[in-house]
Amino acid sequence: MGPATLVFWIASLFALGGGLGVVLFKQAIRNVLSLVVVMLSLAVLFLLLSAQFVFAVQVIVYAGAVMVLFLFVITLLGPVREQSTMRLPWQVFISAVVIAGFAGFLVAMLRGVTYRTPDAADPLFGTVQAIGAGLFTDYLFPFELTSILLLVAAVGAIYLSRGPR
Amino acid sequence: MQALALAILLFPAAGAVFLGVFNWRGSRLLTAFVGPGVVWAAFVCVLILLAGGVNQDFTYWTWIRSGSFSVPFDILIDHLSLFMCLVITGVGGLIVTYAVGYMEHETDGSYARFFCYMDVFVLSMLILVLAGNTIFLIVGWAGVGLSSYLLIGFYYWRRSAVVAARKAFVMNVIGDVGMILGAFVLFVSYKQVVYGPLFGALPKSDGGAVELAAFLLLVGGIAKSAQLPLHTWLPDAMEGPTPVSALIHAATMVTAGVYLVARFHVLYDAATYAHAAVAVIGAVTALFAASIALVQTDIKRVLAYSTMSQIGYMFLAVGIGAYSAGLFHLLSHAFFKALLFMAAGNVIHALHDDQDMRHYGGLWNDMRRSSVTFLVGSLSLAGIIPFVGFFSKENVLGEAFSRGDALGYSVWLIGFLTAVLTGFYTGRMWWISFWRPAAPERPVAGHLHEAPAVMLIPVAILAVLTTIGGALQVKAVGGWALVDDFLRPVLGEEHITAVALEYVATLLTLVLAALAFAAAYNFWIRGSWNVDAWRARLAGAARVLEHKYYFDELYDRAFVRPLDRLARLADREDRSVIDTGVVDVGTYTERSASSLSLTQTGFLRSYVLVFVAGAVIAAGLVLWRAQG
Amino acid sequence: MLLDAGTIQVGSEQLEVSWFLLLAAALFVLGAIGVLIRRNPLVMLICIELMLNAVNLTLVAFARQLNNREGQLFALMTMTVAAAEAVVGLAILVDIFRVRDLEDVDDLSELKG
Repeated sequence: MGPATLVFWIASLFALGGGLGVVLFKQAIRNVLSLVVVMLSLAVLFLLLSAQFVFAVQVIVYAGAVMVLFLFVITLLGPVREQSTMRLPWQVFISAVVIAGFAGFLVAMLRGVTYRTPDAADPLFGTVQAIGAGLFTDYLFPFELTSILLLVAAVGAIYLSRGPR
Repeated sequence: MQALALAILLFPAAGAVFLGVFNWRGSRLLTAFVGPGVVWAAFVCVLILLAGGVNQDFTYWTWIRSGSFSVPFDILIDHLSLFMCLVITGVGGLIVTYAVGYMEHETDGSYARFFCYMDVFVLSMLILVLAGNTIFLIVGWAGVGLSSYLLIGFYYWRRSAVVAARKAFVMNVIGDVGMILGAFVLFVSYKQVVYGPLFGALPKSDGGAVELAAFLLLVGGIAKSAQLPLHTWLPDAMEGPTPVSALIHAATMVTAGVYLVARFHVLYDAATYAHAAVAVIGAVTALFAASIALVQTDIKRVLAYSTMSQIGYMFLAVGIGAYSAGLFHLLSHAFFKALLFMAAGNVIHALHDDQDMRHYGGLWNDMRRSSVTFLVGSLSLAGIIPFVGFFSKENVLGEAFSRGDALGYSVWLIGFLTAVLTGFYTGRMWWISFWRPAAPERPVAGHLHEAPAVMLIPVAILAVLTTIGGALQVKAVGGWALVDDFLRPVLGEEHITAVALEYVATLLTLVLAALAFAAAYNFWIRGSWNVDAWRARLAGAARVLEHKYYFDELYDRAFVRPLDRLARLADREDRSVIDTGVVDVGTYTERSASSLSLTQTGFLRSYVLVFVAGAVIAAGLVLWRAQG
Repeated sequence: MLLDAGTIQVGSEQLEVSWFLLLAAALFVLGAIGVLIRRNPLVMLICIELMLNAVNLTLVAFARQLNNREGQLFALMTMTVAAAEAVVGLAILVDIFRVRDLEDVDDLSELKG
């Protein structure tokens, strides 16, 4: 087992553990921290996949900004505990069924895919230059739209959180 | 000339539209001018056409075109149609002018409505007589039926008026059906609708579809002219205002049947059985109506039944082939019947709408002018010389007598008896209403006022016409026949010549009718004969007469009640079956909607579940498609 | 091996792409379970973020396998959108919490019927 494989397994373990933590922890803050663990593990995996820019963005934006936002909100709202009484008794059972089916389909789909021949190998794969070139030439339009989306989200968030006049 | 002919129709049409659309709440003065004014304008047009000697079928455009079938919008100007137009616009003009005064108590809106309807009527009647083809005739025919309904039911807040209007309309429609079927038979058999070609295509003697068509058309005529057995609507039609009774139910609409037979004389000359039926129906109705008139207490009802009876004379005349005689009587009847109705209207107006003759009396002294005019009309109705009624009635009876065959003598006999009876009931009407001392119910002389000028002048004009009208046709030895001559181009030669015995018959009729008129005085006023004793002896007969031979009861049992039951059944079924069916659709939709709305649980998590489940299904579909 | 997706060269080793894909699938399913089962609205949002991350992993893995950059760009877009959505969602949550003391998302059931 070479170093890459080892890194992969360790990162996967952390990711899965974090995922389980997200689903299972009762205290909200532990959920958030589990998610941070998942994100950092995934960042490592991105790096393993030679996607340097994505790795950086994941760490800075996702784990660094979005998660921090979640933490702010949690501390703002205070500790929240879930009640034990359930309003939808069948929810768990049906969810289990649905998810089982979902998982099965996912696997089946992934098995059934015919992969096309890969493009030519690019020494600049995953680098900032490659991403930048793509963003500002072929994919300029989606880039601009995404900026507008962020603007809308920011305005919306400010408006929504203004509270009663 | 072509434009002038169309103008005859356009004037009343414009009047009706103006009064109906623009002047509904408008100036009373404007209504008073436009209402009669358009009728007089049409009269002037008729005079001009008459003076110009016009005799043509004017076609304006093709109204209906369907494959090879085409119906023109055409106006036929010949002596017959001009003759009828003179009556309609001339006498009609006088009556509408009279109505300006008679209807003055109405509100502004009702006033305009009245004249609008009158103009509609004049328009429809003109269409009827001016039509140059059978289809256009039907338009006018239906139009007068509608106007009659609107005008009988003019006082629509009165239940009796509405019921009477409906009754008139239903009976008219029965006639309309016959008319239309007759027109269809003619078209199917002879492929023509325009009069000229149609009459040319008819066979000269019995055969083919002539009898059927003639009978069917006759049904229409019977209904419109209130002859037996479709007569019951006419007395009830007196619910309408008096000018309406004068115009529609005396002078014009009810004479449409007579015009019909005259116009279609080519058909009736060929269809001998139907032709004879016309005469028989006319004669029987004349006697029948005269007998009922004897026991009526409402002055307008007496006049209504006398109208029915006189039209019977006209039918009698056209039924034996004496078309001009029938039309002369139509003209003379228009004069004196309109006169009678309008004079009676003056009286009714002065006596605050009381129409019961038993409450009258003493009017000779207190309402001299109306009494004189009414007397002129009554004597004319009774057929007394020198009024026009004598000349026209004797014309008819003379033609019947001179025919010399069984039909001629039998209808003459009935006509003779009717004439005597007419004298009797007319006298009764006159003496009871005008000559005897005033009844206690009558308002005192001081409170009575004679009618205003606008109501008196038309009456006076008609009185004059009634007096001198006889000069038109004096068929005594070496006499002249202006009406016959005028109508000969259209109606052909009258093939009856007078015999000496006819003069005896005429004299006999005159004397007996005059005696009957005088006898009525003795009977009812002087009391020389004990009225009550007679009444007791003839109680049964009196009851039959008072119930109008139970025709209304018969029709009620035979037709009205079964139809009413059927209508109620249909209504019940409609409500229970159809309505519930329709309502059920709504209920079921509502219920299914409310059950579907249960999926909106409000719980976010169930929505998410559905969301995810949907994604799963979509994934499954993709997979399935990819494999297949 | 598992999914027949090919291998990638990392340094001197060959890694199976299928492992990445399966890991991503597992994380996605975990996230889905969490959204359906948990009743704290905040936790539901977090689970959605988890699902988005899993998708990102799949995208980048495929991008690496096929040597193109669309996958990475798409992953960047996804991250941006996820960030925007998290911001707005949290703002709404804060708004709700201001009005009532919410612990269970099942309490938000006024829009029923």
